[in-house]
Amino acid sequence: SVAKLRIPKRYRHPALEERLSRRRMAQEARSLLRCRRAGISAPVVYFVDYVTNSIYLEDIVDSITVQDHINAVQRSGNDTSSLLVLAEKMGELLARMHDEDIIHGDLTTSNILLRPPTEKLDLVLIDFGLSFISGLPEDKGVDLYVLEKAFLSTHPDTEMMFKALLKTYAATSKKSGPVIKRLDEVRLRGRKRSMIG
Amino acid sequence: MGLTHQLELFPECSVALLLFRHVRNAAALRKMAMEGSVEGALINPAMIVDPFQILVAANKAVHLHKIGKMKTRTLYAEIIFSLSPNNNISDAFKKFGISDSDTAVLIVLVMNREKTVNLEDIASQVEGQQVSLDELPHLTDTAKVKKMYKVTPQEEKIGTLLDSVVCRMSTKDVL
Repeated sequence: SVAKLRIPKRYRHPALEERLSRRRMAQEARSLLRCRRAGISAPVVYFVDYVTNSIYLEDIVDSITVQDHINAVQRSGNDTSSLLVLAEKMGELLARMHDEDIIHGDLTTSNILLRPPTEKLDLVLIDFGLSFISGLPEDKGVDLYVLEKAFLSTHPDTEMMFKALLKTYAATSKKSGPVIKRLDEVRLRGRKRSMIG
Repeated sequence: MGLTHQLELFPECSVALLLFRHVRNAAALRKMAMEGSVEGALINPAMIVDPFQILVAANKAVHLHKIGKMKTRTLYAEIIFSLSPNNNISDAFKKFGISDSDTAVLIVLVMNREKTVNLEDIASQVEGQQVSLDELPHLTDTAKVKKMYKVTPQEEKIGTLLDSVVCRMSTKDVL
Protein backbone atom coordinates (compact mmCIF):
# COMPACT_ATOMS: atom_id res chain seq x y z
CA SER A 1 0.00 0.00 0.00
CA VAL A 2 0.95 3.62 -0.36
CA ALA A 3 1.04 5.76 2.75
CA LYS A 4 0.02 9.32 2.20
CA LEU A 5 1.40 11.38 4.99
CA ARG A 6 0.66 15.04 5.13
CA ILE A 7 3.89 16.92 5.67
CA PRO A 8 3.13 19.64 8.18
CA LYS A 9 3.55 23.02 6.61
CA ARG A 10 5.55 24.90 9.16
CA TYR A 11 4.54 28.26 7.85
CA ARG A 12 0.99 27.62 8.92
CA HIS A 13 -0.42 28.33 12.33
CA PRO A 14 -0.55 24.97 14.15
CA ALA A 15 -4.26 25.06 14.87
CA LEU A 16 -5.00 25.74 11.24
CA GLU A 17 -2.51 23.11 10.14
CA GLU A 18 -4.23 20.44 12.22
CA ARG A 19 -7.69 21.36 10.99
CA LEU A 20 -6.68 21.58 7.36
CA SER A 21 -4.76 18.36 7.49
CA ARG A 22 -7.70 16.57 9.06
CA ARG A 23 -10.17 18.06 6.64
CA ARG A 24 -8.13 17.26 3.55
CA MET A 25 -7.65 13.69 4.66
CA ALA A 26 -11.33 13.29 5.40
CA GLN A 27 -12.28 14.81 2.06
CA GLU A 28 -9.90 12.50 0.30
CA ALA A 29 -11.28 9.41 2.03
CA ARG A 30 -14.86 10.44 1.38
CA SER A 31 -14.29 11.21 -2.27
CA LEU A 32 -12.42 7.98 -2.85
CA LEU A 33 -15.28 5.96 -1.42
CA ARG A 34 -17.83 7.97 -3.38
CA CYS A 35 -15.88 7.40 -6.60
CA ARG A 36 -15.62 3.68 -6.04
CA ARG A 37 -19.30 3.29 -5.24
CA ALA A 38 -20.08 4.95 -8.56
CA GLY A 39 -17.67 2.67 -10.39
CA ILE A 40 -15.08 5.40 -10.98
CA SER A 41 -11.57 4.03 -10.74
CA ALA A 42 -9.73 5.40 -7.72
CA PRO A 43 -7.43 3.79 -5.13
CA VAL A 44 -8.90 1.63 -2.37
CA VAL A 45 -8.62 3.07 1.14
CA TYR A 46 -7.01 0.59 3.53
CA PHE A 47 -6.64 2.63 6.71
CA VAL A 48 -7.25 6.14 7.95
CA ASP A 49 -5.01 7.31 10.81
CA TYR A 50 -6.60 10.25 12.59
CA VAL A 51 -3.62 10.70 14.87
CA THR A 52 -1.06 11.51 12.21
CA ASN A 53 -3.67 12.49 9.62
CA SER A 54 -2.32 9.97 7.19
CA ILE A 55 -4.19 7.74 4.85
CA TYR A 56 -3.08 4.35 3.55
CA LEU A 57 -4.11 3.68 -0.02
CA GLU A 58 -3.88 0.99 -2.61
CA ASP A 59 -0.63 1.11 -4.50
CA ILE A 60 -1.39 1.06 -8.22
CA VAL A 61 1.61 -1.08 -9.08
CA ASP A 62 3.65 -0.27 -12.18
CA SER A 63 1.36 2.55 -13.14
CA ILE A 64 2.54 5.69 -14.92
CA THR A 65 0.99 9.12 -14.82
CA VAL A 66 -0.83 10.38 -17.87
CA GLN A 67 1.71 13.18 -17.80
CA ASP A 68 4.64 10.82 -18.24
CA HIS A 69 2.76 8.88 -20.87
CA ILE A 70 1.98 11.92 -22.99
CA ASN A 71 5.59 13.04 -22.71
CA ALA A 72 6.85 9.61 -23.75
CA VAL A 73 4.54 9.40 -26.75
CA GLN A 74 5.41 12.88 -27.89
CA ARG A 75 9.12 12.32 -27.48
CA SER A 76 9.11 9.03 -29.32
CA GLY A 77 7.61 10.76 -32.33
CA ASN A 78 5.15 7.91 -32.65
CA ASP A 79 1.63 8.18 -33.90
CA THR A 80 -0.09 10.60 -31.59
CA SER A 81 -3.60 9.61 -32.59
CA SER A 82 -3.55 7.23 -29.64
CA LEU A 83 -3.41 10.36 -27.50
CA LEU A 84 -6.77 11.41 -28.89
CA VAL A 85 -8.27 8.13 -27.73
CA LEU A 86 -6.68 8.72 -24.33
CA ALA A 87 -8.23 12.18 -24.26
CA GLU A 88 -11.64 10.68 -25.00
CA LYS A 89 -11.25 8.22 -22.14
CA MET A 90 -10.28 11.07 -19.84
CA GLY A 91 -13.29 13.06 -20.91
CA GLU A 92 -15.55 10.12 -20.22
CA LEU A 93 -14.03 9.49 -16.79
CA LEU A 94 -14.32 13.12 -15.73
CA ALA A 95 -17.89 13.32 -16.98
CA ARG A 96 -18.82 10.35 -14.83
CA MET A 97 -17.03 11.86 -11.85
CA HIS A 98 -18.82 15.20 -12.25
CA ASP A 99 -22.14 13.44 -12.72
CA GLU A 100 -21.60 12.12 -9.18
CA ASP A 101 -21.06 15.72 -8.12
CA ILE A 102 -17.47 15.00 -7.18
CA ILE A 103 -15.17 17.95 -7.80
CA HIS A 104 -11.54 16.80 -7.88
CA GLY A 105 -10.06 20.19 -7.08
CA ASP A 106 -6.60 19.50 -8.44
CA LEU A 107 -6.96 18.02 -11.89
CA THR A 108 -3.62 17.66 -13.63
CA THR A 109 -2.16 14.98 -15.86
CA SER A 110 0.00 13.80 -12.99
CA ASN A 111 -3.12 13.05 -10.94
CA ILE A 112 -4.41 10.53 -13.43
CA LEU A 113 -2.68 7.18 -13.61
CA LEU A 114 -2.58 4.52 -16.29
CA ARG A 115 -2.65 0.94 -15.05
CA PRO A 116 -0.40 -1.50 -16.86
CA PRO A 117 -0.55 -2.41 -19.69
CA THR A 118 -0.62 1.20 -20.85
CA GLU A 119 -2.31 0.39 -24.17
CA LYS A 120 -5.48 -0.61 -22.36
CA LEU A 121 -5.94 3.02 -21.31
CA ASP A 122 -7.24 1.91 -17.92
CA LEU A 123 -7.32 5.20 -16.01
CA VAL A 124 -7.24 5.74 -12.24
CA LEU A 125 -7.90 9.08 -10.58
CA ILE A 126 -5.75 9.95 -7.59
CA ASP A 127 -5.03 12.74 -5.12
CA PHE A 128 -8.41 13.84 -3.87
CA GLY A 129 -7.07 15.96 -1.03
CA LEU A 130 -8.63 19.11 -2.40
CA SER A 131 -11.86 17.50 -3.52
CA PHE A 132 -15.37 18.36 -2.44
CA ILE A 133 -18.96 17.55 -3.33
CA SER A 134 -20.86 20.04 -5.48
CA GLY A 135 -23.55 20.02 -8.11
CA LEU A 136 -22.78 23.54 -9.31
CA PRO A 137 -21.77 23.93 -12.96
CA GLU A 138 -19.39 26.67 -11.80
CA ASP A 139 -17.39 24.24 -9.67
CA LYS A 140 -17.31 21.65 -12.43
CA GLY A 141 -16.35 24.28 -14.96
CA VAL A 142 -13.50 25.45 -12.77
CA ASP A 143 -12.40 21.84 -12.28
CA LEU A 144 -12.10 21.46 -16.05
CA TYR A 145 -10.43 24.85 -16.38
CA VAL A 146 -7.74 23.85 -13.90
CA LEU A 147 -7.09 20.74 -15.99
CA GLU A 148 -7.01 22.76 -19.18
CA LYS A 149 -4.43 25.18 -17.82
CA ALA A 150 -2.33 22.34 -16.41
CA PHE A 151 -2.63 20.42 -19.64
CA LEU A 152 -1.68 23.18 -22.02
CA SER A 153 1.15 24.47 -19.88
CA THR A 154 2.69 21.04 -19.29
CA HIS A 155 2.14 19.53 -22.70
CA PRO A 156 2.80 21.62 -25.78
CA ASP A 157 0.64 21.10 -28.89
CA THR A 158 -2.16 19.31 -27.09
CA GLU A 159 -4.99 21.64 -27.98
CA MET A 160 -6.60 18.96 -30.13
CA MET A 161 -6.31 16.50 -27.28
CA PHE A 162 -8.12 18.74 -24.87
CA LYS A 163 -10.75 19.50 -27.47
CA ALA A 164 -11.38 15.77 -27.86
CA LEU A 165 -11.55 15.44 -24.08
CA LEU A 166 -14.21 18.11 -23.83
CA LYS A 167 -16.18 16.67 -26.70
CA THR A 168 -16.42 13.28 -25.04
CA TYR A 169 -17.12 14.94 -21.69
CA ALA A 170 -20.06 16.75 -23.23
CA ALA A 171 -21.30 13.59 -24.90
CA THR A 172 -21.02 11.49 -21.71
CA SER A 173 -22.39 13.83 -19.11
CA LYS A 174 -26.07 14.63 -19.18
CA LYS A 175 -25.44 17.77 -17.18
CA SER A 176 -22.59 19.03 -19.34
CA GLY A 177 -24.35 21.91 -21.09
CA PRO A 178 -24.20 24.42 -18.24
CA VAL A 179 -20.75 23.16 -17.27
CA ILE A 180 -19.20 23.86 -20.67
CA LYS A 181 -20.93 27.21 -20.67
CA ARG A 182 -19.35 28.06 -17.33
CA LEU A 183 -16.00 26.81 -18.57
CA ASP A 184 -16.17 29.30 -21.45
CA GLU A 185 -17.01 32.05 -18.99
CA VAL A 186 -14.22 31.05 -16.61
CA ARG A 187 -11.74 31.11 -19.48
CA LEU A 188 -12.65 34.71 -20.05
CA ARG A 189 -11.87 35.46 -16.42
CA GLY A 190 -8.26 34.34 -16.54
CA ARG A 191 -5.12 36.38 -16.13
CA LYS A 192 -4.79 39.44 -18.32
CA ARG A 193 -8.28 38.96 -19.53
CA SER A 194 -10.49 41.90 -19.93
CA MET A 195 -13.71 41.57 -17.98
CA ILE A 196 -15.37 44.30 -19.93
CA GLY A 197 -18.52 43.36 -21.79
CA MET B 1 -1.34 -23.92 12.56
CA GLY B 2 -3.77 -21.71 10.77
CA LEU B 3 -2.40 -18.51 9.33
CA THR B 4 -0.24 -16.00 11.17
CA HIS B 5 0.51 -12.58 9.78
CA GLN B 6 2.54 -9.73 11.19
CA LEU B 7 0.87 -6.33 11.08
CA GLU B 8 2.84 -4.02 8.81
CA LEU B 9 2.17 -0.93 10.85
CA PHE B 10 2.54 -2.64 14.21
CA PRO B 11 5.33 -5.14 13.69
CA GLU B 12 5.29 -6.22 17.33
CA CYS B 13 1.78 -7.63 16.74
CA SER B 14 0.96 -10.81 14.91
CA VAL B 15 -2.51 -11.86 13.93
CA ALA B 16 -3.38 -15.56 13.89
CA LEU B 17 -6.39 -16.93 12.05
CA LEU B 18 -7.80 -20.36 12.89
CA LEU B 19 -10.60 -21.78 10.79
CA PHE B 20 -12.90 -24.58 11.91
CA ARG B 21 -15.62 -26.51 10.09
CA HIS B 22 -18.23 -29.02 11.26
CA VAL B 23 -18.34 -27.20 14.59
CA ARG B 24 -20.77 -28.75 17.06
CA ASN B 25 -20.43 -26.44 20.05
CA ALA B 26 -20.98 -22.98 18.56
CA ALA B 27 -23.51 -22.11 21.27
CA ALA B 28 -21.08 -23.03 24.04
CA LEU B 29 -18.26 -21.15 22.35
CA ARG B 30 -20.39 -18.07 22.00
CA LYS B 31 -21.25 -18.23 25.68
CA MET B 32 -17.59 -18.65 26.57
CA ALA B 33 -16.67 -15.70 24.37
CA MET B 34 -19.23 -13.49 26.09
CA GLU B 35 -17.97 -14.57 29.50
CA GLY B 36 -14.42 -13.92 28.39
CA SER B 37 -13.24 -17.48 28.98
CA VAL B 38 -12.05 -18.04 25.46
CA GLU B 39 -9.27 -16.00 23.95
CA GLY B 40 -9.83 -14.47 20.56
CA ALA B 41 -12.51 -12.96 18.33
CA LEU B 42 -15.04 -15.55 17.20
CA ILE B 43 -16.16 -14.60 13.74
CA ASN B 44 -18.68 -15.95 11.26
CA PRO B 45 -16.58 -16.98 8.23
CA ALA B 46 -19.53 -16.49 5.87
CA MET B 47 -18.99 -12.73 6.14
CA ILE B 48 -15.27 -12.89 5.40
CA VAL B 49 -14.01 -12.80 1.81
CA ASP B 50 -10.30 -12.90 2.44
CA PRO B 51 -7.85 -12.93 5.39
CA PHE B 52 -6.83 -9.41 4.38
CA GLN B 53 -10.25 -8.22 5.52
CA ILE B 54 -9.40 -9.51 9.01
CA LEU B 55 -5.98 -7.86 8.91
CA VAL B 56 -7.52 -4.50 8.07
CA ALA B 57 -9.96 -4.86 10.97
CA ALA B 58 -7.21 -5.99 13.34
CA ASN B 59 -4.95 -3.14 12.24
CA LYS B 60 -7.63 -0.60 12.99
CA ALA B 61 -8.49 -2.23 16.31
CA VAL B 62 -4.85 -2.32 17.44
CA HIS B 63 -4.37 1.31 16.38
CA LEU B 64 -7.43 2.46 18.32
CA HIS B 65 -6.44 0.33 21.30
CA LYS B 66 -3.01 1.99 21.39
CA ILE B 67 -4.44 5.48 21.39
CA GLY B 68 -7.22 4.57 23.81
CA LYS B 69 -9.97 5.36 21.35
CA MET B 70 -11.70 1.99 20.94
CA LYS B 71 -15.45 2.10 20.64
CA THR B 72 -15.89 -1.28 22.33
CA ARG B 73 -14.50 -2.69 25.58
CA THR B 74 -11.95 -5.22 24.37
CA LEU B 75 -9.55 -5.57 21.49
CA TYR B 76 -11.37 -8.62 20.18
CA ALA B 77 -14.73 -6.90 20.33
CA GLU B 78 -13.16 -4.00 18.47
CA ILE B 79 -11.97 -6.30 15.70
CA ILE B 80 -15.50 -7.57 15.19
CA PHE B 81 -16.82 -4.00 15.27
CA SER B 82 -14.20 -2.87 12.73
CA LEU B 83 -15.48 -5.44 10.27
CA SER B 84 -18.85 -3.75 10.17
CA PRO B 85 -19.58 -1.09 7.54
CA ASN B 86 -21.70 0.82 10.05
CA ASN B 87 -21.30 2.17 13.54
CA ASN B 88 -23.82 0.00 15.33
CA ILE B 89 -21.96 -2.22 17.77
CA SER B 90 -24.68 -4.74 18.54
CA ASP B 91 -25.46 -5.12 14.86
CA ALA B 92 -21.79 -5.84 14.22
CA PHE B 93 -21.84 -8.64 16.78
CA LYS B 94 -25.00 -10.08 15.36
CA LYS B 95 -23.78 -10.10 11.80
CA PHE B 96 -20.07 -10.81 12.19
CA GLY B 97 -19.95 -12.72 15.44
CA ILE B 98 -20.95 -16.36 15.63
CA SER B 99 -24.46 -17.54 16.35
CA ASP B 100 -25.55 -20.68 18.14
CA SER B 101 -26.44 -22.54 14.96
CA ASP B 102 -23.19 -21.87 13.12
CA THR B 103 -21.12 -24.86 11.98
CA ALA B 104 -18.08 -22.89 10.92
CA VAL B 105 -16.03 -20.57 13.10
CA LEU B 106 -13.09 -18.30 12.41
CA ILE B 107 -11.01 -17.47 15.48
CA VAL B 108 -8.78 -14.40 15.30
CA LEU B 109 -6.02 -13.84 17.82
CA VAL B 110 -3.63 -10.96 18.29
CA MET B 111 -0.27 -11.83 19.76
CA ASN B 112 2.58 -9.63 20.78
CA ARG B 113 5.90 -10.00 22.54
CA GLU B 114 4.48 -9.67 26.06
CA LYS B 115 1.53 -11.93 25.53
CA THR B 116 2.07 -15.51 24.46
CA VAL B 117 -0.97 -17.32 23.22
CA ASN B 118 -1.22 -21.06 23.02
CA LEU B 119 -3.01 -21.75 19.77
CA GLU B 120 -3.43 -25.45 20.52
CA ASP B 121 -5.22 -24.70 23.76
CA ILE B 122 -7.72 -22.51 22.02
CA ALA B 123 -8.19 -24.96 19.18
CA SER B 124 -8.90 -27.72 21.67
CA GLN B 125 -11.89 -25.79 22.98
CA VAL B 126 -13.57 -26.06 19.59
CA GLU B 127 -15.51 -29.25 18.90
CA GLY B 128 -14.87 -29.30 15.21
CA GLN B 129 -12.29 -29.82 12.53
CA GLN B 130 -9.57 -27.27 12.03
CA VAL B 131 -9.01 -26.59 8.36
CA SER B 132 -6.66 -24.50 6.24
CA LEU B 133 -7.53 -20.87 5.50
CA ASP B 134 -7.61 -21.93 1.84
CA GLU B 135 -11.12 -23.21 2.53
CA LEU B 136 -12.35 -19.78 3.52
CA PRO B 137 -13.62 -18.86 0.01
CA HIS B 138 -15.88 -21.96 0.12
CA LEU B 139 -17.47 -20.65 3.29
CA THR B 140 -18.02 -17.07 2.15
CA ASP B 141 -21.61 -16.11 1.47
CA THR B 142 -20.92 -13.62 -1.31
CA ALA B 143 -24.51 -12.50 -1.64
CA LYS B 144 -24.78 -11.80 2.06
CA VAL B 145 -21.50 -9.88 2.04
CA LYS B 146 -22.60 -7.75 -0.92
CA LYS B 147 -25.86 -6.97 0.84
CA MET B 148 -24.23 -6.17 4.16
CA TYR B 149 -21.64 -3.86 2.67
CA LYS B 150 -24.08 -2.46 0.09
CA VAL B 151 -21.76 -3.08 -2.80
CA THR B 152 -22.96 -1.43 -6.01
CA PRO B 153 -22.89 -3.20 -9.40
CA GLN B 154 -20.70 -0.42 -10.88
CA GLU B 155 -18.21 -0.94 -8.12
CA GLU B 156 -17.84 -4.62 -8.93
CA LYS B 157 -16.53 -3.64 -12.35
CA ILE B 158 -13.59 -1.66 -11.05
CA GLY B 159 -12.37 -3.93 -8.32
CA THR B 160 -12.78 -7.07 -6.27
CA LEU B 161 -15.36 -7.64 -3.57
CA LEU B 162 -12.50 -7.40 -1.08
CA ASP B 163 -11.71 -3.89 -2.37
CA SER B 164 -15.29 -2.76 -1.78
CA VAL B 165 -15.40 -4.32 1.66
CA VAL B 166 -12.09 -2.87 2.85
CA CYS B 167 -12.95 0.59 1.54
CA ARG B 168 -16.12 0.72 3.57
CA MET B 169 -14.46 -0.66 6.68
CA SER B 170 -11.75 1.97 6.60
CA THR B 171 -13.91 4.98 5.81
CA LYS B 172 -16.95 4.31 7.94
CA ASP B 173 -16.02 6.84 10.58
CA VAL B 174 -14.76 9.61 8.34
CA LEU B 175 -16.71 12.72 9.04
